Amino acid sequence: MTALEGLFYGLGAAGLLVFLSGTVMVLTWLERKALARIQLRMGPMRVGPHGTLQPIADVAKLMTKEDITPSWADKRVFWLAPAALLMPALLVWVTIPMARDLVLRNLDMGLFYVIAVSVLSVMGLVMAGWGSANKYAMLGGLRAVGALISYEIPFILAVLGVAMLSQSMDITRIVDDQRSIAYIIVQPLGLFLFLVAGLAELGRTPFDIHHAESEVVGGPFVEYSGAHWAAFMLAEYINTFTVAALVVLLFLGGWRWPAMPGDGALHTLLSLIWFLTKTYFVILAIFWIRGTFPRLRIDQLMAFAWKVLVPLAFVNILLTGLVLYYDLGWWVLTILSLLSLAAAFYIIFGRYGSRAERMTVRVYSTRELGLKPAVRPQAAPPPDGSPVQVDKAPAAGA
Amino acid sequence: MLGNLKGLLLTLKVMRREPVTAQYPDPSKRLPIDKRFMGFPALLWDNSNDEPFCTGCMVCVRACPTQCMSAEMKDNPKFADGTSRRRKIIEKFEINLSRCILCGICVDVCNFDAIEMSHEHELSKFERNGARAALPQLLAMGKKYQAETTWQPKQPEKNLGKPPEKPATAPQPEKVGGVVTS
Amino acid sequence: MVNIQTQASNQDSLQAVDMMLNLGPQHPSTHGVFRLVLWLDGERIVRAEPHIGYLHRGSEKLCEREDYTQIITLFDRLDYVANLNGELAFCMAAEKLMGLEVPDRAWYVRSILCELNRIASHMLFYGVYGLDTGAMTPILYGFRERERIVLLFEAVTGARMMHNFIRVGGVKQDLPEDFVQRVNKLTDELKRGIEECDQLLTNSELFLARTKGVGSIDGPTARDYGCTGPVLRASGVKEDVRVSEPYGIYDRFEFGIPVGSNGDCWDRYYIRVEEMRQSLSIIEQAVKQMEPGPIQAKVRRIARPPKGEAYVRTESPRGDFAVFLVSDGGDKPYRVKVRAPSFANLQSITHMLRDAYIADAVVILGSIDIILGEVDR
Repeated sequence: MTALEGLFYGLGAAGLLVFLSGTVMVLTWLERKALARIQLRMGPMRVGPHGTLQPIADVAKLMTKEDITPSWADKRVFWLAPAALLMPALLVWVTIPMARDLVLRNLDMGLFYVIAVSVLSVMGLVMAGWGSANKYAMLGGLRAVGALISYEIPFILAVLGVAMLSQSMDITRIVDDQRSIAYIIVQPLGLFLFLVAGLAELGRTPFDIHHAESEVVGGPFVEYSGAHWAAFMLAEYINTFTVAALVVLLFLGGWRWPAMPGDGALHTLLSLIWFLTKTYFVILAIFWIRGTFPRLRIDQLMAFAWKVLVPLAFVNILLTGLVLYYDLGWWVLTILSLLSLAAAFYIIFGRYGSRAERMTVRVYSTRELGLKPAVRPQAAPPPDGSPVQVDKAPAAGA
Repeated sequence: MLGNLKGLLLTLKVMRREPVTAQYPDPSKRLPIDKRFMGFPALLWDNSNDEPFCTGCMVCVRACPTQCMSAEMKDNPKFADGTSRRRKIIEKFEINLSRCILCGICVDVCNFDAIEMSHEHELSKFERNGARAALPQLLAMGKKYQAETTWQPKQPEKNLGKPPEKPATAPQPEKVGGVVTS
Repeated sequence: MVNIQTQASNQDSLQAVDMMLNLGPQHPSTHGVFRLVLWLDGERIVRAEPHIGYLHRGSEKLCEREDYTQIITLFDRLDYVANLNGELAFCMAAEKLMGLEVPDRAWYVRSILCELNRIASHMLFYGVYGLDTGAMTPILYGFRERERIVLLFEAVTGARMMHNFIRVGGVKQDLPEDFVQRVNKLTDELKRGIEECDQLLTNSELFLARTKGVGSIDGPTARDYGCTGPVLRASGVKEDVRVSEPYGIYDRFEFGIPVGSNGDCWDRYYIRVEEMRQSLSIIEQAVKQMEPGPIQAKVRRIARPPKGEAYVRTESPRGDFAVFLVSDGGDKPYRVKVRAPSFANLQSITHMLRDAYIADAVVILGSIDIILGEVDR
């Protein structure tokens, strides 16, 4: 590597870091505003017009806040945990392209690298959970391990379906392969699997069991404050952005579908804008889901991963393989995908029965229950014979 | 799945509505204070005779469930001049507003229409004991309340302080909380 | 390292220790200051021990040195979500002791306000329950509906929560002139609001997964624990004080009593949603039936009930809210005992928590809908 190349990568990495930090700030604002709209609130309004400067105020506050270490904490583990979570979140972005050639280093095994690195982030959570010397944190950390390891499998298998379709693990080539038709249309089942497993990887509603404010009070982050807590949040939001970007790249045609006009720098700029627009729409959908759904329990989460998502992912791979092997049209895969998705939903949610079946509450009318006449005190002298004391009515009404 | 989709559709629908909340100090969005709103108790001013209604009879002090009030009475100088019917008048009155529970019992028991739940409700203070309202503040709150509303004494013939036209040699007998003593 | 207080498991052969976890008193989903000590085997609860008393204010003892008008303010603060229902129970006890005939109009005002307060309380439950299961939005929808009711309360009683409105022998003031108009508008809005809340949570499969079959308790056991209200009705016991021992004018309305069959969290939740609809129907009937008239029976300003004792049961949003009042003939009661529904309902939590997960503990506790002010008194 020459010095020039080193400078290029150094500048690129710095630029990426700045871009991602900026994105996180936008995302925190966006999430608060989106949730506020869903909940008929206004969200942040104080700092700047419509609270647009709120993220800056947040950063200033978090950086100046006292950083507390619990006295029982395993200090090395406790302080290393944020870095262990943040590093993989940043490293993933080495190979994620935001437009053609707008990537730090395009790898032939890009998808493989992304998955391999992103799985490391669970280390940060379990370190935080263990190091905090807090039972809630530990429960949260262990929950995170259980959930992330389970959901890694459908996540990888869903990615595999895409890799089979494009015959490549190179993300740029996958995007190029979608120039005529996006994979969301070819493989809706794959998108469903990827999005659900991705939400679970992120620990976002309905799979946010490791934060679970109402159960484990914020989980692994419960003892963190100030800058270290900020590092966790940075990692969380970068991961959210990563998953949304991957959804766009793998299923929504990235910057290519439909193709952007122009060439050279203009084309790159338009592509970037188009890519970011799509990504933000996916992120808004994630926020929308967060604003609607309750949380699953840990055993239900595991059951969903192993009993539903993993088999479905294998079905997805099988169908893709069959279609590719017999060289059928892409629409065959679409139909088969949708059919298996519908069948899966029918099987999972069929057990709750129809609305009438699960209605276990019956309303009895008062007539059915036999309403007796009401007992109202009568103005009768009390049994001990003392006179009822009535002599003066206070002023009633205004 | 249908239930989940319904929920998603609902939140999507709601997202388009105007928020029901408002930015706090926005004066245009403030809820109107209702006529019956019970804020902190305030002492009222008898405009007909330019003195407070309150005679310091201590009925409210005794009826208060939280003992947040204290009062002291004095001989009314105006009574000596013959310009007032009130033999006694309030000298010191203090309500610890942070202790007050806004129950309105003091208003119910008052025989002189002297105390009323005003529309004051902001309690932020800078000093530790800043919420202890003394007589001038309570009267100011009462005057503000009287100016803002159409408050009238419930028993004007009995409670207005203007002396009768005839010379004040035979003052009206005053009830000093006799009804309420336990 | 982690300072884990341990206790030998009942499975000694495995040499495993259970982790003790303090859920509360400082925990976001204990609905106040309630402490639940859990012994955990992984995520599973081996043993649960509720600790109460963090909000004990000695209200019952305080009642012995306050006179009858002042006690009403204390009853406001027992069940601080359904204040008027608490006031009503005490006033009814005093009226029973004094043999007071409360005018019809006063009863209509009381019934309308208490049913509105039931809806407000259930709306709070709805929101908090959504939060317990992990959904963020229900609480804001619930509070939006509750806010409408509270605004009407402000117009009627002058206060949003601590009303001090129901008096021994009647109510403090008559309704404002535009009340009927406002309450009709409110019921229309609430009907829409309840449907919206229902649509958001009730049939969501994720919510069903969290609540169906969780924390089941059967009818006889619930009765043995002394559960009342929605907790008992969810287990299939048709018991509602408004029907089984009607008071006031509840015999003049036709309304439904929702009764569940599984006794699980979903039944307890849905019974409350359904009760809101039934309360709306009661309010509509009451507004139609109401006629002008006096609102206060003749009572001395300082009430002195004759020597004796009275026990009165009312149906508060949480169940059978009863007051036992002993008078020695003075202006202050000799003894006031409150039979708080949350207190009795809370006892059943150890039964419901058997073999549950930590996540279930929160959901089960939420489904009982405790108000600590009433539990600890």
